[in-house]
Amino acid sequence: MSGGLYLFAVSRGLPEGALSAVTGFDGEHLRLVRSGDLQAVVCAVDLAEFGEAALPRNLEDLRWVEHVARTHDEVVRAVARHAEAAPMRLVTIYADEDGVRRQLDRVHDDLVAALDRVTGRSEWGVKVYARPGEPPAAPAPREASGAAYLQRKREAAQARRTADEQVEHVARALHEALSGATVAARVLAPQDPRLSGRHERMIHNGAYLVPEERADEFQATATLLGSSRPDLIVELQGPWPPYSFAVLETG
Amino acid sequence: MTDAQTPVGTRASGLPTNQGPYSRPQPANLADILERVLDKGIIIAGDIRVNLLDIELLTVKIRLLVVSVDKAQEMGIDWWRNDPMFNARAEDLANENRELKQRLKELEPGSGTEED
Repeated sequence: MSGGLYLFAVSRGLPEGALSAVTGFDGEHLRLVRSGDLQAVVCAVDLAEFGEAALPRNLEDLRWVEHVARTHDEVVRAVARHAEAAPMRLVTIYADEDGVRRQLDRVHDDLVAALDRVTGRSEWGVKVYARPGEPPAAPAPREASGAAYLQRKREAAQARRTADEQVEHVARALHEALSGATVAARVLAPQDPRLSGRHERMIHNGAYLVPEERADEFQATATLLGSSRPDLIVELQGPWPPYSFAVLETG
Repeated sequence: MTDAQTPVGTRASGLPTNQGPYSRPQPANLADILERVLDKGIIIAGDIRVNLLDIELLTVKIRLLVVSVDKAQEMGIDWWRNDPMFNARAEDLANENRELKQRLKELEPGSGTEED
């Protein structure tokens, strides 16, 4: 059995011992690999599970992916509680500390720039769903003819299309309103209902980078927008570590 | 369709911000976690060369949830079995067609179709 190091996040200003109560995979302690002013947060992993041979298989196992994803997020959150944090993509793995340090040195300036962009800011998510179950149409009278029936069907379809367009227009307006208190915003792909378990149609999935001093304002805006539209469900989620905004400008 | 959500327009899951960021437990929804840890986050080369292609593939698969039905049920992901949205959507047109023809037959016996 050989070991590797799983890299969760790169941080700046992480106090000594801040992560002593947090563990990585299989109860392994978290370790810091330093490169100048940056700290890489890693934990030891077994390459029989996280190595090149095993990963393609394990990544097909949604239960394994869920466990790794949740652990990854827990550790990233713990780092972000104590320091500026740039989260890494899932399963970024090195052979040893030298490997981590080499990579950190190589992209040091880009990581510093990425951390600069998210310092003092948090990521918030806003999902907007079209509320299902609009009042059912009054029962139609029995049509005198098939033509009248078809006409009614066409009108219903047109009404649905119009309603869809209105809802999408509202989602765009909402995104613009939310962006007011942010320094950056991204529209994410709508989630597949089979994974999210939500039946309602997701009409907007936005990520917002909000300065901490404007977080209250941002939340109030989201709440106001939600309460002004009873036909929509507006869900605010956050703060997240800056997954969607701590990005490298170059390679 | 069931709607188990809270009846308010907005459901804020964040703590008041004066309690400090990230002190809240992570969301329970796997989609919310995967959307970020699998799809976002910084990509830098690791020593273990698996990442990108496999993860791109996986992301697509998870988005489409192309896990075997057995595995999905084992994980409790089986709600779509009884969800008309999923079972019926593809059949919508066919059903509507059938329905239309049936209605025409009922309404205008013997008169043939005046519109199709």
